[in-house]
Amino acid sequence: MRVLSLELDQFRNYAALRFTPPSGACVFIGDNAQGKSNLLEALALLATGKSFRAAREADLIRDDAPAASVSARVATRHGEIQAACIVARAGEGARKRFFRNGRAVPYGQFLGGVMAVTFIPLDLQLVIGPAGLRRRLLNAGLAQTSRAYYRDLAAYGAVVTQKNALLRASGAPDRDLLLTYNEQMAISGGRIASARAVYVRKLASEATAAHARWVGASPEFDVAYRPSPALAEETPEAIEQALRAALEANQTLEIKRRSALYGPHRDDLALSLGGLPLARFGSQGQQRTAVLALKAAEYASLHAAAGEPPILLLDDVLSELDRERRHAFLSSLGDFDQAFITSTDVPDMPATLRGEVVRVRAGSLAIENAAHA
Amino acid sequence: MDDLAPPLSGLIGELEKLPTIGPKTAARLAFYILSASREDANALAEAIVAVKDRVRLCSRCFSLTEADPCSICRDVRRDPKTLCVVGEPKDVYAVERSMSFKGRYHVLGGLISPMDGIGVAQLHVKELVERVGTEGIDEVIVATNPNAEGESTALYLARLLAPTGVRVTRLAYGLPIGGDLDYADEVTLARALEGRRAL
Repeated sequence: MRVLSLELDQFRNYAALRFTPPSGACVFIGDNAQGKSNLLEALALLATGKSFRAAREADLIRDDAPAASVSARVATRHGEIQAACIVARAGEGARKRFFRNGRAVPYGQFLGGVMAVTFIPLDLQLVIGPAGLRRRLLNAGLAQTSRAYYRDLAAYGAVVTQKNALLRASGAPDRDLLLTYNEQMAISGGRIASARAVYVRKLASEATAAHARWVGASPEFDVAYRPSPALAEETPEAIEQALRAALEANQTLEIKRRSALYGPHRDDLALSLGGLPLARFGSQGQQRTAVLALKAAEYASLHAAAGEPPILLLDDVLSELDRERRHAFLSSLGDFDQAFITSTDVPDMPATLRGEVVRVRAGSLAIENAAHA
Repeated sequence: MDDLAPPLSGLIGELEKLPTIGPKTAARLAFYILSASREDANALAEAIVAVKDRVRLCSRCFSLTEADPCSICRDVRRDPKTLCVVGEPKDVYAVERSMSFKGRYHVLGGLISPMDGIGVAQLHVKELVERVGTEGIDEVIVATNPNAEGESTALYLARLLAPTGVRVTRLAYGLPIGGDLDYADEVTLARALEGRRAL
């Protein structure tokens, strides 16, 4: 998969940008706050429909412009597609509209056109950070390859939000309404957890293999799904029943704690090295290698699901890695069609990865030279 | 708009508060009203005052009406045993336009959404249960919007009404008439398949 052209209008610090990226590695260099990450953010928006860093989507719009737009022509194995997203100010916030080949499409149908693996500094916390980061890893891979998963996740999230609001409201919650929300959670939650269980197995075998390639087969890196509640079976129907039972059994507790305590929104991954939990017993170096193995596995899984290499977006992470890890990681993704990398200076990369260096200065781009000619 | 006569800028300001009306449209409407005949302008002003003064909620179905109970609740030709439950009064008019429903309505006055502070107590749910008990209702058709809140509200009502033994149904999901199968989104298509009928 390859981005043939990118157009930004009133997006972040770009008034109007027309850019024809090279194939292979495209390295954006420049000082801080010149707009390097904004380019990756725009590309990620076309893949996931979301910004990987904006807390407020209105922040994507430049200065006082009414709307921002991002548009790209992308070569895929199914032919060339044009994907676009318009973010328009609406009241206090912003509203997004998605387009495929010039036609407006709902978000659920927009997903899966452009596929990307995003690696940002926050991902370096995957081992020791909160469980939300690990669920984000699962959702990023699953939502891009399965519209059904995305729909279930959106429906499930909406119900959990309502249930939490109900539990937090003053007075005793309406029991029938609580049971209604539990029932809805059980149905969509069953499908979500089932999809995650299957995905984690694929992710785990890729991650274990990548880890073994880099540092040897022992101690073995293992990734296991830790669903909430714990599950004996993996079919959506079995999980639905287990979830229904867990929600029923813990209703009083949830009312007392005023919070939805069980379900896929509390899922986690168990990451271990030689059988020991990495977050507690791993050295910083071991934890970092595990993060890279997980990201390499995400790339491999998406690659397999799409039938072609996804676009790679590496935002400011290469400089965080020592030379050995950087080379091992990049070499293991050696078959990518196109990677967009941001860095403050030209990173030392494996000689096999040809790339072009593009200097970013105050929202304008200048191609400098071939990084590895 | 400082150089405009104050009554005119005042009218523009009021019109701008209306939904979908921006400053340009508000100015256009205000200038139009200014140039219109005295009778037309009076008619508009009186119509606005009249809706505020004379339109109220029907004490039975909570739809909008001038006379209480509303014309639908009073209409003896309508089937008194079938109730169509909708979220907002405007949904009554949507169902009425179909001209294929001959029963009566019950307007909830919104959809359940605790995150917006709308719980069961804020809606006309208690009144619905009472009506089902006292009016000899055979069937309750839930016609809430096919979104997250509408779905939860429908399921909640089904659960709530289950002990009464009344038949609770939900509007079918289907494909738009004259549409292209190709362009239908997958969720709608999947639901339409689930709800398919023998030919």
